[in-house]
Amino acid sequence: MELIDKLSILADAAKYDASCASSGAPNRSSRGKAGLGASSGMGICHSFTPDGRCVSLLKVLLTNFCLYDCQYCINRRSSNIPRARFTPEEVVRLTLSFYRRNTISGLFLSSGIIRSSDYTMEQLIQVARLLRETHQFRGYIHLKAIPEADPKLLEEAGRYADRLSANIELPTLASLKTLAPEKELGTIHSAMGQIRQGIDAANDAATQDAKQPPRSANPKRLAPRYAPGGQSTQMIVGADATDDRTILQSAEQLYRDFRLKRVYYSAFSPIPERPAGLPQAAPPLLREHRLYQADFLIRGYGFAAAELLGKPGNLELEIDPKLAWALTHRDTFPVDLNRAEPALIARVPGIGLRSVQRLVELRRQRKIRFQDLIALRCRVETLRPFVVTQDYRPADGQRDSARLRQQLTAPQPAQMALW
Amino acid sequence: MTPAPSAGAMPWVVPAADFGQWRDAARRLLQAGVPPAAVVWEDTRESQGDLFADTTAGAIRLPEPSVAPAPVRIGREDLALLERASRYRSGDGEQNRWALLYRVMWRLHHGERDATHPADSDGRVLHQRRHAVKREAHHMHAFLRFYRDATDGDEADARGSQDAPGGESLHGRADCLGRKDDRDRENDLGVEESQASFIAWFEPAHDVLDLGAEHFADRLGGNPFLIATPRNGVAWDGQHLDYRTPCPPAWTARARAAQAAGEDSEHALWRTYFVSTFNPARLNHRVMTQHMPQRFWRHLSEGDLIPALEARARHGGRRLAQEASVGERKGKTLPPSRR
Ligand code: SF4
Repeated sequence: MELIDKLSILADAAKYDASCASSGAPNRSSRGKAGLGASSGMGICHSFTPDGRCVSLLKVLLTNFCLYDCQYCINRRSSNIPRARFTPEEVVRLTLSFYRRNTISGLFLSSGIIRSSDYTMEQLIQVARLLRETHQFRGYIHLKAIPEADPKLLEEAGRYADRLSANIELPTLASLKTLAPEKELGTIHSAMGQIRQGIDAANDAATQDAKQPPRSANPKRLAPRYAPGGQSTQMIVGADATDDRTILQSAEQLYRDFRLKRVYYSAFSPIPERPAGLPQAAPPLLREHRLYQADFLIRGYGFAAAELLGKPGNLELEIDPKLAWALTHRDTFPVDLNRAEPALIARVPGIGLRSVQRLVELRRQRKIRFQDLIALRCRVETLRPFVVTQDYRPADGQRDSARLRQQLTAPQPAQMALW
Repeated sequence: MTPAPSAGAMPWVVPAADFGQWRDAARRLLQAGVPPAAVVWEDTRESQGDLFADTTAGAIRLPEPSVAPAPVRIGREDLALLERASRYRSGDGEQNRWALLYRVMWRLHHGERDATHPADSDGRVLHQRRHAVKREAHHMHAFLRFYRDATDGDEADARGSQDAPGGESLHGRADCLGRKDDRDRENDLGVEESQASFIAWFEPAHDVLDLGAEHFADRLGGNPFLIATPRNGVAWDGQHLDYRTPCPPAWTARARAAQAAGEDSEHALWRTYFVSTFNPARLNHRVMTQHMPQRFWRHLSEGDLIPALEARARHGGRRLAQEASVGERKGKTLPPSRR
């Protein structure tokens, strides 16, 4: 099979993984050195496909042959799809060529399980080793961690990769049992735990180095890096009946227990030869969007999952989770922007983290007026009922939440219409 | 010392082509106590490449420096903000960059510390401009596309003696570019390209060429590259960046030719990847154009694919995430494992 045909098949097979981030890598440069590639903390989207998703990395499977039969997966062994397999050299060649043309910032390599978990992991490592050692490639590398693989292999993978990810896909034991009977939550968790340990150990060693630099400046003497971009995972949304509350609580737990950098949510997309029990519906994109918003509030704004969804069920689709929280906590508002703690200002709908910081800076110099919120481009219509400034106090502060909700409910974005 | 012009007197007319020139002039004017209303700033950067640009060249008339000038102080962050904002190319009806900067400097100098705060009327414009500049630099990092430079083969030989970094790389030198048959090329492309030259054409909306060039020098290391833009250009030989204003016509011609030729099979591979990684079931035109404005499409080798992919997705392709051409290939189920 020609390279171009393999690429067509193995990119198609890999697109169900939502992650394409190239952020969080340490600063590397190839200036004045042999080899190719650089990285910085900031990711780069080199293109956007018409689904609005960022193309940052060459995201392919090494092979879509797979021993497993995960029902939600297009590559499961019972799926009647074209199969292909890259050699490690072919992946290297594509990565370097695309990188030089500036169409990607690195590689995200995953694979179906062939022969054994160890063998599969070794193959992924082989690609990363070729890139890093033979070609001195300094761009971004994200490798899939195969949960059942030998811990030594995960250790090795972390030395080459900027990011490792083991996908949880389904957050409950029951879902995994029905849809991915050959996978176990326990092994996925232990792989994540191990990656976390690797990262922690490398960080400890790096802190040591920073305090007491080794006498030789040879970088080889410095603490070895281990997946400096952290680890991530993905959960499928809408393949079964798991609700948002379960999903968000699992995410919160994963952030806490394994210090994940990111949890990705992937709206289940219809696949060919759909097994019984799986939806043949449009991917629930709006639901996925609300999950990302809630996730952001948990990571950045100090919300707990239980605050955002107190009872079983899903997040509201009509309004975003921050507004939903504010509407059910009217006694917290209005918030006086000249007095309130920054953490509370961050809970005001329509005010983002950057504006919080700017407001706090500003009020050290003078009193905040309503005009400032307009100048800072906060979402004024949304925040109006929730704030007090030097010259403004909501007249409609007494108004009941139901009417506010109605008023603030944005019309459904057109893109969410189904076919 | 020449006194500042009093009300009704001739204003100072001060041309500036870059931030450094503006800064020197602004310092002198501030020290002489010339208020913003008494200066007319000429943006000679805007008129670069203009035949009449050098009418403003001659001697620039500025207030004489005083014997013991009071030092002008500005916070490091404020200075960085002014420098970035100055790269913004004003559109019709927008303020001249140097006039805005000078007014802000004047206000800071007179104790108005919030002149650079985003809630201030001037500060807001500065922040918006800095943001637009940062975004444009990011666009350049993201959407610029390199093509193999057609004139590469000859130049590579000439460069051989210059001892570029990476010259002793593991992979040896690429002397016979384009002279191998395609299959060989495909197999050891990674080896062969380790010293090839690349060229790009880009049309930045603001003055960000140097921000892009530094970035690409980090990425490409030993690979020489050349970037041509409508105003200026830059060449990287593996060691130094060589800026030219205006951009030499030969560079422009080469860059455009390389892009028009669509180069080699490599961009065909990229286009294939782009098609396959797209998920038609998630079609979302609005989000895509928000992130990747249409003005960039014509410079992307995948740009012309977008309308076709969207049309196909709208007409039934959304029912599946799988790319249609992959679905048409012969499939294969696998036996249960014997583990
Ligand atoms: S192991 Fe991975 S590739 Fe194989 S069927 Fe399961 S999810 Fe798909």
